[in-house]
Amino acid sequence: MKGIVVTGAKLFLICAIAASVLGFVNAVTEPVIRQRKIRELKEALESLIPEGEVGKLVKVENNDVVKGYYPVKKDGKLFAYILDLRGNGYGGELKILAGFKGNGEIVNVKLMDNEETPGLGKKAEKPEYMKKFIGTGGTKPVPVRKDMLSRKDADAVTGASITFMGIANALAEGSEFAKKLGGKS
Amino acid sequence: MIEHFTKGLFKENPIFIIVLGLCPTLAVSTQVVNALGMGAGVIFVLLGSNFFVSLLRNFIPEKIRIPSYIVIIASFVTMVDLFMQAYAPTLSKNLGVFVQLIVVNCIILGRAEAFAKNHTVSESVLDALGMGIGFTLGLLLISLIREVLGAGTITLFPFGNFDGVIRIPVIYNAPIRVIGLATGALLVIGYLKGFFDWMAIRKKKREIEKRVSAVKV
Amino acid sequence: MTYVGIIITFVFINNFILTQFLGLCPFIGVSRQMEPAVGMGFAVIFVMSLASLITWMIYTWILIPLGIAYLQTITFILVIAALVQLVEMTIQKTAPPLYKALGIYLPLITTNCAVLGIALIAVRSNYNAMESFVAGFSAGVGFMLALVLMASIREKLDTEWVPKPFRGVPIAFVTAGLMALAFMAFDKALLRNLIG
Repeated sequence: MKGIVVTGAKLFLICAIAASVLGFVNAVTEPVIRQRKIRELKEALESLIPEGEVGKLVKVENNDVVKGYYPVKKDGKLFAYILDLRGNGYGGELKILAGFKGNGEIVNVKLMDNEETPGLGKKAEKPEYMKKFIGTGGTKPVPVRKDMLSRKDADAVTGASITFMGIANALAEGSEFAKKLGGKS
Repeated sequence: MIEHFTKGLFKENPIFIIVLGLCPTLAVSTQVVNALGMGAGVIFVLLGSNFFVSLLRNFIPEKIRIPSYIVIIASFVTMVDLFMQAYAPTLSKNLGVFVQLIVVNCIILGRAEAFAKNHTVSESVLDALGMGIGFTLGLLLISLIREVLGAGTITLFPFGNFDGVIRIPVIYNAPIRVIGLATGALLVIGYLKGFFDWMAIRKKKREIEKRVSAVKV
Repeated sequence: MTYVGIIITFVFINNFILTQFLGLCPFIGVSRQMEPAVGMGFAVIFVMSLASLITWMIYTWILIPLGIAYLQTITFILVIAALVQLVEMTIQKTAPPLYKALGIYLPLITTNCAVLGIALIAVRSNYNAMESFVAGFSAGVGFMLALVLMASIREKLDTEWVPKPFRGVPIAFVTAGLMALAFMAFDKALLRNLIG
């Protein structure tokens, strides 16, 4: 009996020390991580449409793809929207920020948080990856299948078709959403 | 004493000879920089866990040793995860869930159980360093093969005007993409393991021949 | 994501062993013969479904409200270890024949990265309780599928001539690599049918 109590107490002691050390490490790193995330979001928003002024987030309820949007103003007039989109990738959810004009045309795209495979799906984080979507959505349709891409672009998404589809479908949906907003804030 | 360090580097190289701790290594071996980051993480966790397991070897009762080791290892893994998120965000994003998965890396629990629990602290630290560096070298080799052949690049850390990516002429324009895919990782490790086994067999044969000729004389 | 989507993703397209390399150690270790592979497969499906559900509950109802999400790794691995132990004891008491079949594989599951992997990925993907359970179950099925396929190939390989240095583990890796290549077909073919 005494043996069990001592054993239990020792295990508890190890757990308690581990938890408190981690609590301390977390207290040190948490503000750094939070600030970095805020800064990253701000930088991402500004880099998407550099010439505009990004407004406050408007949340969208009951939509699986569009979680919210930021109206973007230029010279005091509404110019474009940045949509906060969710797509489905290999490793679960893809968080995408994309700028759209009122007619649904894609201005710029950025892949934020994701769990894609390093070197394959993760390639979508690079700005070059998104070039194939820019300018589509208005008069040209968003390429949602690989056969809608040029040979070179199609090659580049090999091995990560799901990532491509996830992003493309989210963007197509976002384009429709932007059209519905239609230049009004 | 130094042999505790050196044995991990090649003789018992964690990846090729023991074939442990594979799971978290292959997925991040698409780029050299990821391999380096993962290696650093594993060395840190291995050092911490071997140090404390060895230090507490008379304190932890036999019955609860596995849960205790897991708590110690998981604590160090969480530290690595938090520090990476705070100070190396790109690396943390690249490695994703695989940082947390260091916990179940068989090498770490394996070294605690097989070595640290019945060796002194300094021996255990040397063992951890050797195994950790050996692991990193192995992973580096795999990622080097995969990135050079699969993408034609070597991705390192960016500094100054250097963007961190070395592009290899010829291959960069027409890489063997399949090596960069999941298939490539498994094939590369299979052939490497075959190569190392072949070397081991050849070495053994030579030793036997030597002994035979010595007997004859 | 629909349930069907989750199942197809984790069984075929995003097969844990062949695309994510999670659970590679038991995959190489117990795929030498068919019988243990089947046993291990069922044990993993069982533990993975339960583990992803329970870790989801603990994460959503305990860690998040208390603001200690950073203890995720440590809690999850302890929960999985405890769960495996509990399952082992329960099966031993209530279903001795099942225990006889699965018993020796259960302790090996604690250090199977696939179990911790699915628990962490389910939480990171913002799945709800049911989605987490389905994801765990399908990832387990995917694991078993790959394991059983591999075992049947390796049983055949035993009677074939293999270069000496490649016997055992190396040829298993090369085989797995070719299987992964075959699984890549699911990616495009399935998607074209499903999404367009």
